[in-house]
Amino acid sequence: MANEPKLSHTAAMILQAIHAGQVYGFSVMEMTGLPSGTVYPAMRRLERDGLIVSKWEQQSIADAEQRPLRKYYKLTRMGQSALEAIYKRYPLLEKLIPSPEVKRV
Amino acid sequence: MIRHLVHSLPISHVILRVAALFVPHREREEWLAEWRAELWHVWRSCNHQAEVTAFCFGAFQDALWLRGNNKHSVPRRLFRPGSPWRCGLSLAIWAVAGMLICFCLPGARRAMHPLPYRDAGDLVMISRAGYSSEHAPTIRLEEYQAWKTSTRDLFTGLAFYQPMRKRIHVGRYQTADMSVARATSNLFEVLHLPIPVTARDQMNRPYMASLVLSQKVWKKYFHGDAGNAGHIVDIAGQKVRIAGVMAEDSWQLPGQIDAWVFEDEQHMDALPSSTRGYVLAHVKASGLSPHAVARRSMTVFRDTGEADRYDCVSLEQQAQLPFFFFVFTLFLACLALPATTPLPLGEYPVHGDRLPSIMRFRRWFFLAAKVSLIVPIVYFSSLDLAYASLPIDSPAAQGIQFVSSFFGFLFAFRWALQDQRRRCPECLRLLTNPARVGQASRNFLAWNGTELICAVGHGLLHIPEIPTSWFGTQRWFYLDSSWSSLFSDTYLASAGTS
Repeated sequence: MANEPKLSHTAAMILQAIHAGQVYGFSVMEMTGLPSGTVYPAMRRLERDGLIVSKWEQQSIADAEQRPLRKYYKLTRMGQSALEAIYKRYPLLEKLIPSPEVKRV
Repeated sequence: MIRHLVHSLPISHVILRVAALFVPHREREEWLAEWRAELWHVWRSCNHQAEVTAFCFGAFQDALWLRGNNKHSVPRRLFRPGSPWRCGLSLAIWAVAGMLICFCLPGARRAMHPLPYRDAGDLVMISRAGYSSEHAPTIRLEEYQAWKTSTRDLFTGLAFYQPMRKRIHVGRYQTADMSVARATSNLFEVLHLPIPVTARDQMNRPYMASLVLSQKVWKKYFHGDAGNAGHIVDIAGQKVRIAGVMAEDSWQLPGQIDAWVFEDEQHMDALPSSTRGYVLAHVKASGLSPHAVARRSMTVFRDTGEADRYDCVSLEQQAQLPFFFFVFTLFLACLALPATTPLPLGEYPVHGDRLPSIMRFRRWFFLAAKVSLIVPIVYFSSLDLAYASLPIDSPAAQGIQFVSSFFGFLFAFRWALQDQRRRCPECLRLLTNPARVGQASRNFLAWNGTELICAVGHGLLHIPEIPTSWFGTQRWFYLDSSWSSLFSDTYLASAGTS
């Protein structure tokens, strides 16, 4: 518990949005309602702390959809465990941005 | 129309391109590709073009965050607290700032430069004995007139000037109070300053005294207009012709003079014989030899048999006094330094296999760099302090320079040694986390003192509280590999060390 990173509510929302399947910066913005100037630096910070990881998608996917190559983000194992701890601190977070499992229910 | 242009896609791309300039170079391409790809989607999703522009402006915050958190950036490494670069850079900035202030302050600038007069070594200022440091003219006009003939074997040229406050009519219905020097026409000749051109063609006109203005007065009251040369102005009822302008910093004799009125011998002789002024003399090669001695005495015997004594102070020696004080106080401070702090830097065991030879000498280079930056800092700062508002020949200014220079050197060298002792010999960062170790009551059984650690993990410094025969000075201990787990790789990398 002592080693868990202390996340702000904004960072927690972004982490939850990525967990909920919004893997691109713009989709995180749409989901959270936060501006680009908040979302992207926060994602860089989460990536630096090892909670999320970014990857470029395959060229073939972008070519098939005739669009530029996009970078997507996903939670790391550390990010997953951090998120579980965050639910205790922000109990309404999961209701605000439902997780994929919750959506299915 | 303009609104459409501002919120257009090309402008959005330009905004991203500008924001990319803030991103560290090695990450820029990838960063720009990500934002462009996102912009492609934003452009298709947003109904209002202003939202697209707002999205693009968010890129600046992202770029600035990346710049601020770039651990490889040079400024970040330079300005990390305790780093040797930060220390060196701070000292260099201080030295440059001191030098710039010196160049901005006229008094300090004069103290730095040698006299602008040719044969300055042969020029002496004559004053009544014991009054050479006083800021008041001491020689009577009659004395000067007598010396013109009686001292031909000593001096090749004698000039007289009398500073006074006068009201000058600088324009129609406009007057200004200025410090005017009434001088003999050979004053500039003795100083080897170029004679104003317009003064030469007065031979064909009825006599009129020539006026030379200082740069400051010429710019302030005559708007720097060269066309004013030859014009006639009124100085307290006397008509004088503007002959020229004195170059800046050319006047370095006693008295803050705004304008010089040059009278010929005939008109000077008509002045009251008790008029007091300064006498400048050009010494003959076989005369007083001012090169060797800064001050010589001159004795003049009157017809009654009484003797008058005068001081002949070399102008060059006077001008070199600030530099002499600087060298002398540097020497004194070096002598006094061991009384204020121990000179040894501590015991540092040699780790030949661990440190390359260049690294072993790096701490000595660093100490030498600090000392060599301290010298100009103290020199310029003491000049700034002493001559900011006082003239170069003022005893008060010289006293301020002497005291500030001596204590400046003493405390700066002391700081340099103390700072050096508190640095890691490998990375030269300041050691941190001081901890008290041991008990004073057990001083003879175990050591007690302060322990400091290198934040990067190179070693520990033990400073004894009471120096003993077995632990007389601070000792450095290298940490072995078992300590490495305490110091993260990222920190090691950020410290820029191996």
